[in-house]
Amino acid sequence: MRTSTRASGASPLMYVTLTLVVLLSIAPLYFMLVMASRANSEILSVPPPLLPGDQLAGNIERVFANEDVQFGRALLNTLLVASVATVAVVLTSALAGFAFAKLRFRGRHGLLVFVVATMMVPVQLGLIPLYMLMTEVGLAGGLASVTLPFLVSGFGVFFMRQYASQAIPDELIEAARVDGASTVRIFWSVVLPALRPAAAVLGLLTFMERWNDFLWPYISLDFNHPTVQVALSRLSGGYYTDQALVMAGTLMGTLPLVVVFILFGRQIVGGIMEGGVKS
Amino acid sequence: MTAVVFEKATRRFPGQDRPAVDALDLHIDDGEFLVLVGPSGCGKSTTLRMLAGLEDVDDGRILIGDRDVTRRPPKERDIAMVFQNYALYPHMTVAENMGFALRIAGTRKAEIRRRVAEAAEILGLTDYLDRKPKALSGGQRQRVAMGRAIVRSPQVFLMDEPLSNLDAKLRVQTRTQIAALQRRLGTTTVYVTHDQVEAMTMGDRVAVLKDGVLQQVASPRELYDRPVNLFVAGFMGSPAMNLLDLPLVDGGVRFGSTVLPVPREVRDAAPGPTVVVGLRPENLAVGGEGMAVRVDVVEELGSDAFVYGRADGIDEPLVARDDGRRPPAKGARVRLRVLDADAVHHFDPVSGRRLGR
Repeated sequence: MRTSTRASGASPLMYVTLTLVVLLSIAPLYFMLVMASRANSEILSVPPPLLPGDQLAGNIERVFANEDVQFGRALLNTLLVASVATVAVVLTSALAGFAFAKLRFRGRHGLLVFVVATMMVPVQLGLIPLYMLMTEVGLAGGLASVTLPFLVSGFGVFFMRQYASQAIPDELIEAARVDGASTVRIFWSVVLPALRPAAAVLGLLTFMERWNDFLWPYISLDFNHPTVQVALSRLSGGYYTDQALVMAGTLMGTLPLVVVFILFGRQIVGGIMEGGVKS
Repeated sequence: MTAVVFEKATRRFPGQDRPAVDALDLHIDDGEFLVLVGPSGCGKSTTLRMLAGLEDVDDGRILIGDRDVTRRPPKERDIAMVFQNYALYPHMTVAENMGFALRIAGTRKAEIRRRVAEAAEILGLTDYLDRKPKALSGGQRQRVAMGRAIVRSPQVFLMDEPLSNLDAKLRVQTRTQIAALQRRLGTTTVYVTHDQVEAMTMGDRVAVLKDGVLQQVASPRELYDRPVNLFVAGFMGSPAMNLLDLPLVDGGVRFGSTVLPVPREVRDAAPGPTVVVGLRPENLAVGGEGMAVRVDVVEELGSDAFVYGRADGIDEPLVARDDGRRPPAKGARVRLRVLDADAVHHFDPVSGRRLGR
């Protein structure tokens, strides 16, 4: 029996497998870059080009110049929508998760079940009622209609609750109480710092979800308020599709996500709770 | 003056038949070091948490100084608590941990820095003020937890088994340090432990609890010399007191080949034909006239040896303290004699209460 897998390091087979997985993961991104940097005719030639060309700047310029697409505005819109939703979801989920995990109040269990139940309703099922609701309150068409419904997340609350109940010992909260902190103060000074790794993960997931959301914004938003995914769909409209143009747009639509991933990824540091209490 | 008073304080946990703490009456004097001791589940931690305001009081009252704090939240009680697992804030440095309560209270920064430095000096933590808890050893974390308490100069210190996570040697060292620190600061302290050695060595007085009921509160000497019932007699002292249910005969109780005299008032108070006789191991010696036993185990501690033996017709083993140089061998047959007949304890076999003075 091998007991020292961790100490002896990975086997050559493991390295080969991992290398393959990495190449397979990178391939689509690479070909996105290849196609975005070529003329449309080059892309359709056989065999297809395997190396990046020199048309990247021109293609990107054409994406931003297209007045039907409004790509620059779409980028800003999406950044705004996704950022607001991310901050709101992380904050409300941390608050509610802390309450569900650590505070005793009447109806706690029933409310949690309700929160979890909201996760079971498929998005598609909510589209029509949501559209009617947004029209009713006069928000249909604008950015508010794709932001407001996503400020709170059942999954986020549940996720934070699970993390808080295992990562924050009761004694830590009691110690803060004895030190004279109010519940709000305990949340800001003790709980939120402890939830940071989970908040980073949740923030990342939420931002990606909002950034990539297509169906609801496509239905709800009017011509003058596109998000990135909606704008991309307009790039490929018409009688013939300029693949180089679409790929240049997709590249521009993906880069911000990569940047966000790098920024948030740094926050996901394990072991932040280490040393506070001895278990 | 900060005395702490429990008046018939009771805590019932939902779904449990008997209260976790049952009508506790306890008066802790100003500046006193009181130890709450008992086996696990006896209600000692619940009692402390009631005093801290972390646990509701279902009946009765708790007073700190002259103030009734029964329904007050922790922050209005002016207490500081040291937790068993220290409960240090992991993302704050040692200095921030110690100054947190003062910061919340709105104390000026310079004042916080001065008081933290002062406490760090007392506890030998000056070099570690900028470290995070995870960069500290167990003993240092324990001292930070102490520091967090003393920085505030509270009216009462509450300590919930603060030494149980330390290794044996450090525990003994820290025990004396805490006791000395408390005497120096003169702050009323309530200290919870399940370790009767800690209770005996640290407390001005010790309160023994069992099943949520206070059994006895007295000085360590008094608890040792005059336990009020069988539970306290068996709990305090290591090895435990020998408790033997022996028949009353003319002139006393039969103890092997001899008769141990029993005082008049004990004989009068005994409800039946037997009494429980309590003999500390140091009141039994090997040799002479007394109970014949077969030696099961000999524990040699260097200076002393504890001899565990079994007598015919008695279930529990008897323990005697013997000279550490030449104890009897395992399996030997010896007699155990009583050294001081006046130091023998007597208990009612039915109620377990102490009989006589």
